[in-house]
Amino acid sequence: MPKLPIIAAFVLFLSCASAQSSNLAFEKSLPITLKHLHDTHQLVLTQESQSPGQTPTDLTHIATYTSDPPNIITVSPSGLVTVLTAGETTLTATHGELSISKPIKVASAETTAISFTNDFVPVLSKYGCNGGGCHGKAAGQNGFKLSLFGYEPSNDYNYLVRDSRERRIFRAAPEHSLLVLKATGEIPHQGGSRLEKNSPDYQAIIRWIKQGLPNDPKEFPKATSISVYPKERLTQPNSQQQLRVTAHFSDNSTRDISHLAQYESNDEERASVTMDGRVTMGHIPGSTSIMIRFQEHVDVFRAILPLGAPVENLPQPANFVDQHIFTQLQTLGLPPSEKSDDATFLRRVTIDIAGRLPSIDETNAFLSDNEPNKRAQKIEQLLASPDHADYFAGKWAAILRNKRAKPEHARGSVAFHQWLRNAIYKNRPYQQIAREFLTASGETGTNPPVVWYRTVRDSKDQLENVAQVFLGVRMQCAQCHHHPYEKWSEDDYYGLQAFFSRITRKPGLQPGEEIVLHNRGQATSKNPRTGKTLKPKPLGGEELTIPSYEDPREHLADWMINPANPFFAKMLVNRYWKHFFGRGLVDPEDDLRVTNPATHPELLESLASDFIANGYDLKRLIRTITNSHTYQLSAIPNQHNSEDSQNYSRFYPRRLPAEILLDGINTVTGANESFAGQPAGTRAIQLPDDTFSKSSYFLSVFGRPDMNSACECERSADVNLAQALHLVNSNNIRLKLSSDQSRPANLAKQKDAQPQNLLAQLYLHALSRPPQPEELATALAYLQRKQNEPGPTSPKESDKAVPVDPILPTRQAYEDLIWALLNTKEFLFNH
Amino acid sequence: MLTISGSKGETFCDGMTRRGFLRIGGLGLGGASLPQLLQAEATTPKKLEHKAVIMVFLAGGPPHQDMWDIKTEAPSGMRGEFNPISTNVPGIQIGELFPKMAGMMDKFSVIRSMVGAGGGHDAVQCLTGRKLQGPQPSGGWPSIGAVLSKLQGQVTPGVPSFLGLSPKCGHDQWGDPGKPGFLGPSHAAFAPFRGGGKDDMILKDISIERLADRKALLKSFDNFRRDVDASGAMTGMDTFTEQAFGVLTSSRLAEAFDLSKEDPKMVERYGKGTEKLTADGPWKRLDQFLMARRLVEAGARCVTLGFSRWDWHGNNFGRARTDFPLLDQGITALVQDLHDRGLSDDVSVVVWGEFGRTPKINDKGGRDHWPKVSTALLAGGGMTHGQVIGSTTRDGGEADDRPVEFQEVFSTLYHNLGIDARRTTVEDLTGRPRFLVDSQHAPMKELVG
Repeated sequence: MPKLPIIAAFVLFLSCASAQSSNLAFEKSLPITLKHLHDTHQLVLTQESQSPGQTPTDLTHIATYTSDPPNIITVSPSGLVTVLTAGETTLTATHGELSISKPIKVASAETTAISFTNDFVPVLSKYGCNGGGCHGKAAGQNGFKLSLFGYEPSNDYNYLVRDSRERRIFRAAPEHSLLVLKATGEIPHQGGSRLEKNSPDYQAIIRWIKQGLPNDPKEFPKATSISVYPKERLTQPNSQQQLRVTAHFSDNSTRDISHLAQYESNDEERASVTMDGRVTMGHIPGSTSIMIRFQEHVDVFRAILPLGAPVENLPQPANFVDQHIFTQLQTLGLPPSEKSDDATFLRRVTIDIAGRLPSIDETNAFLSDNEPNKRAQKIEQLLASPDHADYFAGKWAAILRNKRAKPEHARGSVAFHQWLRNAIYKNRPYQQIAREFLTASGETGTNPPVVWYRTVRDSKDQLENVAQVFLGVRMQCAQCHHHPYEKWSEDDYYGLQAFFSRITRKPGLQPGEEIVLHNRGQATSKNPRTGKTLKPKPLGGEELTIPSYEDPREHLADWMINPANPFFAKMLVNRYWKHFFGRGLVDPEDDLRVTNPATHPELLESLASDFIANGYDLKRLIRTITNSHTYQLSAIPNQHNSEDSQNYSRFYPRRLPAEILLDGINTVTGANESFAGQPAGTRAIQLPDDTFSKSSYFLSVFGRPDMNSACECERSADVNLAQALHLVNSNNIRLKLSSDQSRPANLAKQKDAQPQNLLAQLYLHALSRPPQPEELATALAYLQRKQNEPGPTSPKESDKAVPVDPILPTRQAYEDLIWALLNTKEFLFNH
Repeated sequence: MLTISGSKGETFCDGMTRRGFLRIGGLGLGGASLPQLLQAEATTPKKLEHKAVIMVFLAGGPPHQDMWDIKTEAPSGMRGEFNPISTNVPGIQIGELFPKMAGMMDKFSVIRSMVGAGGGHDAVQCLTGRKLQGPQPSGGWPSIGAVLSKLQGQVTPGVPSFLGLSPKCGHDQWGDPGKPGFLGPSHAAFAPFRGGGKDDMILKDISIERLADRKALLKSFDNFRRDVDASGAMTGMDTFTEQAFGVLTSSRLAEAFDLSKEDPKMVERYGKGTEKLTADGPWKRLDQFLMARRLVEAGARCVTLGFSRWDWHGNNFGRARTDFPLLDQGITALVQDLHDRGLSDDVSVVVWGEFGRTPKINDKGGRDHWPKVSTALLAGGGMTHGQVIGSTTRDGGEADDRPVEFQEVFSTLYHNLGIDARRTTVEDLTGRPRFLVDSQHAPMKELVG
């Protein structure tokens, strides 16, 4: 990456700025008032950008601070204002010739009563004392327990003060309390030295002890939300940005909690953050987020790091996808790669839509087609093909857990796969598919989606699976505790569970089958911790009163597929986006939450609203995505974008999924694969359920999922030694290459054909392109060398009785050539 | 995936343990000729740079009361046919069919009071510490080998960190090499004797020359630009393909499996056993103990193996007379060898089955399933040996004192591997951090002080 020009531009920019009048700015807020001795204010000092395209600069840690009169406040070098005495003063920040002043009022310098919930527990959270790896886990740590992430302050009070006869607190000499001696590491602490002695946080703990261990009264101001400043910034490589975090309380008061909040970077390589909220950018262009947490409240700071390269000659956007992506690329100064060539596009789009390699006829036809609209036409053909239904039915079957746990489950798992396949083939509206799936009742034969209830039996699993698959919400954590980066509570969890509380089952018509029924009655569930009985409640909605004769799942479906649902459409478009780009706009694709923001939030919105406006049309969505220039960009990087992995400035290659790879190898070698119990000619991509993930070593070693999870992450795209060995040396591949019906045997028989043509065909089969002249030359030379070599070449064949088949050398040469093609990255990857 | 900070793989262990020193040198070198010395150098492995564990699974549940805890006071109908013998540790007696072990009891510890077995015919608890019965995380618990693969990765390129030597058995669970569970297939055991893996490792029907031809062809064809992939998967695949060629021609992995590279006397000491599967259970190969040692030296962190089939509902004592001496030979050869090579601090060995057997001898002369109590044998790992931990009641039916949970043994093994299992987590499929063992299960004080 060219760093120098940026730095040069930056220096120039600074020197220009100093010549002008001050363009420094503090966070725009009213004059700062500090309310008591322990109140603080984190300054954020910014040098505003001079012109569009330039980034503002954070000077908080660079500027020097003075105040007049000087005895009212102190300002740390990092810009934290603390109280000395009551009064009014003027704070001045100076940087070179620039300066800015701001009045600050200290209303009172009296000490205040510490709030256990709002002052004390956040300190425990900040230093990780109540984390899941330490005292926050269910059993505590070495006898000392805290509530996980401090979500139950009243329990924490008891643990600290009442447990073990108050042995952790020494009222007479607070500094000698076990609590602080351990935390500071003054006496051995397995968790190490966490808290610096005499730091403000240390002082807060001491103060709480000195004040007589006050607990919060029944009514006290509770935090209702937090907000970070700034929310978003364009930044420079290796630059810094101070954050300021404000908590808003139920009594409408606000307070600076920058020093109490917890900060975490989404991607340490792109940006790191200190405990005090100072962000340091890396050097990889793109956007990244810092998550900020205080009690159960979260907010996010988004930093965008431009590359600043010229972005010229962008093609005319094909649709709104390109508009969003190109706008971001321009902001970032990240020029996209070239458009992919026809052969690459054909292979890519055939794999992604139809789950197979293009046939040689398709390739020839497409490459010789001069129709300017041929890519869009190809997309239409593929979308209409049964292959598309095969591929996507398998994709859905995996996350909808179409398992065959016992042989007698086959009828159901085949029927459910067929149901999905029909739905995709006929392009049924997604919201209808989802509704029918969720509310499925009845018998396997007449309503196949009930099969899901056979695999996913427990109502907790049901709610978790449905939330993850259709809403992109992961509820698992909320079963036991409020997750630090989620807003869902235990009541949300059990409120959702109540929708599944009236499901009952009867034996089905055949062994291993069930009839799923709604059992009349009040749908409720119980929060086991509070003992509270809960009514059905959709996420973020109100409790529902559902008549006992109505199936609560219908009400859940009503809420879910309502166009106003904030998750449903977004989840789907994001899932499909990931399918085609290898990365979700939100990634992981099924983890939509404030603290996991999208790289392109507006694009995600547009895709979702377009999807809703067009009747949840799945094929239309694919059409929109695949017709975009963005999807059709080459994977080959230009001089600027090789490190890009989230801005879609080029296509990101990925290993072929297990099924497509196996089918592809069969196509290229001309082999027939048979799967037990499946009709002859069944391809791997058409397999209905999980059985073959185990029975086929190939499929299992290349990561076909066992369908144990509602997460697409269960499919492994990893590469490993066992895979390499299998491709290089397995009986499986060897037999495919050397059987008498194989392509090498057939090619060797075609004595009259030009070897050049045969080799070109091989390339078209495997890589959907003709060979380059040098590749052809290498292959021809190999062929000729092998044909001229005397005698058989393998030890086993040497044992065979004469006569040796005269075409054997040719045949073996073709075996070797095809073997080599199958092991190229160009074959193994979708690119 | 959700990530909770502050709980990832924290260990406050100093990671330093005493290492055994090679016992060559010092003693009697003056008498060795130069060729002998050179040969010694060639055959003496380097000290291990890593810690490892070898897990021997006795599929089917061996009769604990007939092995290392002979109940001489048990009433008739319960008392077995074997007598106790004294060992080289005063005060410890074990069954008479383990004479070799008795001669080196100072290098073993026996836990007589394993409790909490799930009761199913599976290896899961012996490989993960977790019962298969009851609620499971999505994808299942990962076995210790998969955890090591995840947390510590490979020691030597081309040698997987987790290997399973079990064959594919009729009862599949008995040939379980240890599942990757929610850690996913990339941390699965390399199990060459199950499924396709074994054949893939050995070059067959293709000459070395032809393989070289193919490799050269691949090199000239495989020109796709690697910089198109920033994720590392393409270069990863290159590395693995290169390693695969290494495995097929000559490499540490292939050599570790190749016992012809071993001193014949050593091969003889371990014995051969038989490759025939024991009904629907594992085989009785003794050379797999030697393979396990060679694999660990080559860089494996965890090697699992299954030995025989112990579900002796009939003819318990007849079968014991065949199998006990074999086990005695294999396990003592391994442990002595580890000590001789100075690996006894680096390599932990555990031998156990899924449960124990009934005190009562049934009318077919067999003993039935008994999850209430069972036994485990430990060696190496820098642990304190020459002790018996726990005891059973007069009839061998229940743990009398010091009941030991499976997870305590895992906590101890992880400790030997330099991992504080009570403070270390791995993420499950939902992103939830999962502790390797529950926090109440500390490493066993008797063994690791």
